[in-house]
Amino acid sequence: MKKKKVMALLLATAMAATCLTACGGNNNDANTTDDVKTTDDTNVDDDANATDDTNATDDTNEEAASEEEEAITATIKVWSPSEDQSAENGNWLGAMCDAFNEAHPNWDLTFEYGTCGEDKAKELVGQDPTAAADVYMYANDQLTALLAANAVAKLGGETESYVKETNSQAIVDTVTVDGAIYGIPYTSNTWFMYYDKSAFTEDEVKSLDAMIAKDKISFPLNNSWYIASFYAANGCTLFGDGTDNEAGIDFSGDKAVAVTNYLVNMVNNANFVNDKEGSGMAGLRDGSIKAMFSGSWDYAAAKEALGDNCGVAVLPSITIDGTECQMKSFAGSKALGVNPNAEYPQVAVALAKFLASPEAQQKHYELRTVVPCHTEVLAQEDVQNDVLVATQTATVETTSILQPFVSNMDNYWSPAENFGNSLLNKEVTADNAADMTEKLNTSMNTSVVD
Amino acid sequence: MIKKETASARTRRIIADTVVHVCLAILAIIWLFPIFWVVLTSFRGEKGSYVSSFFPKTYTLDNYKKLFTDTSILNFPQMFMNTLIIAVFCAVISSFFVLSVSYCMSRLRFKMRRPFMNLAMILGLFPGFMSMVAVYYILKAVGLSEGGLIRVALVMVYTGGTGVGFQIAKGFFDTIPKALDEAAFLDGATKFQVFTKVTIPLSKPIIVYTVLTSFMAPWIDFVFAKVICRANAKYFTVSIGLWNMLEKEYIDNWYTCFAAGAVCVSIPVAILFLIMQNCYVEGMAGAVKG
Repeated sequence: MKKKKVMALLLATAMAATCLTACGGNNNDANTTDDVKTTDDTNVDDDANATDDTNATDDTNEEAASEEEEAITATIKVWSPSEDQSAENGNWLGAMCDAFNEAHPNWDLTFEYGTCGEDKAKELVGQDPTAAADVYMYANDQLTALLAANAVAKLGGETESYVKETNSQAIVDTVTVDGAIYGIPYTSNTWFMYYDKSAFTEDEVKSLDAMIAKDKISFPLNNSWYIASFYAANGCTLFGDGTDNEAGIDFSGDKAVAVTNYLVNMVNNANFVNDKEGSGMAGLRDGSIKAMFSGSWDYAAAKEALGDNCGVAVLPSITIDGTECQMKSFAGSKALGVNPNAEYPQVAVALAKFLASPEAQQKHYELRTVVPCHTEVLAQEDVQNDVLVATQTATVETTSILQPFVSNMDNYWSPAENFGNSLLNKEVTADNAADMTEKLNTSMNTSVVD
Repeated sequence: MIKKETASARTRRIIADTVVHVCLAILAIIWLFPIFWVVLTSFRGEKGSYVSSFFPKTYTLDNYKKLFTDTSILNFPQMFMNTLIIAVFCAVISSFFVLSVSYCMSRLRFKMRRPFMNLAMILGLFPGFMSMVAVYYILKAVGLSEGGLIRVALVMVYTGGTGVGFQIAKGFFDTIPKALDEAAFLDGATKFQVFTKVTIPLSKPIIVYTVLTSFMAPWIDFVFAKVICRANAKYFTVSIGLWNMLEKEYIDNWYTCFAAGAVCVSIPVAILFLIMQNCYVEGMAGAVKG
């Protein structure tokens, strides 16, 4: 027993010693870098770092770098989804970071990688921004939460104009809050349609009604991310153009009731199957379902299930009261964010830019079929010929609305999901459609907290 | 006459037994059903998270193979080892804590004894994860929230408060006759010697129980592991790994592996129990004699 006690003591001392040295190291670093640190916490401006014109060739980049950059030795923390770091997928992040290090000979950077899915940034970065990554990836619907946690830096100056110049307006909007840019987008994020080419012709997939009349289709009706597409088709709006918190959600009046009626009919159609917990993909596999709605993450699975018959198309239109209405999905983006607590903001911003550069997006696309959003990359022939990229880009640009990420959007998700469930349970019928739609509209515009 | 009565009594007994056994069987089925389903799913050949039939159409071992060989995205073997290491340390340290505290509460008399027991009872009523944010910031302040020290941090979190859960072991110690202690004292034993030489050998069942529960804690806990590991995938425990497998982007590929992982997690606990089972029986016998 005594031995054990001695061991415990030794362990405790060892631990104390290591953490003391760790603290010491940090302090030193902080002292040497005070002069380069910007004082404004939330505004990281990289004007000082004029070297990072990503359009420039590597050579000029290096030259410029060696002339103007002061020597920095630093450890930069980068977080990305684990797929970007797996050797099997070509370790995109590692390769890109090494290339970045080479492009900046004056910077001696060590990278520390962490695993954080784009959809987890809110939780993992928000939990403790001061100990989070300097550069991380986030899905743009997390932006409001990240801003509230002071975990994402405003990008000014050259970076701001770079984002605006190299992306379509729809994409720029996804990272803009009150006119300021908070991230560098590297891919778009939306959903569209997968269908069996042997079941539907290219003409038929333009109309949901034609499809459902012919064969089985599956739609995740009780998933709030998807159900809004029907309402958006008939002129219902969410927060005006998606950014006006005060405007609220407008699912009111005859236009919304007409959609509810359409959905009631659709649920009653024997060819409609709700997509829940992967049943749509399972249906594609065993052939019981001929079309489903999902995003690029299901492309590989759909391709495997359908082979050459795998069709990808933008959303179809629906016929409401005799008029053709285009379904509109939520569109967002995934972007690189910079932590305002980063010790070397200029390095972090340069790295974020590098990771969203055309070369990086190209590589990302080649290694993992991450659909690029940089206009230059999209203009390339091989990218344009890719049906997945073409469809996703077309969806974002033509058949989508900006997925609102204003704070009141939090009130949308649960009521919308519950309404989908009510539709599926046939609690919503043609008789009470007006009433139920009105209730839905009220609850979506009521804060749970109030 | 007598014969007939015996026969009818036997029929009655058989009927009663049948009813009881049918009831028990139904309860057992209800209880075992999810476990059975997980095991079946872990051998399922079809991909994806959704199935239309209860029994898999094809059976395969690939899920287990993938779980332990496909380490590029979700490194299950590493998570398994992390958890195993943490669990071993937890089992040793927290058993020591629990047994020591229980012994003190059962055998020693001091002024703070009763207030302490009340306090411990009240503290035990609060859910542990209430303190997770505070725990994280404390660990960060002492520098345990990064790198390999995360394992140390997790061991500390899982063992630190276990001493408060002394009630069951104390209750057991109370049943060991004090006369045994007194006899040892007369022979010149110290309190510590009484604890190690008299009390411990007589309380094997409760030790087995304590070791098993503290060994299981790291396998089950999700909240603290998640808060402390954050983005450090190298130090994830199995619960985070299993949770990740059910995320939107992995579920289609990893669902059956998730079931396989769930089955694998039960193996170390089962092995530990089998090893300690002998002690369990022996200890019981000893306690009765004592």
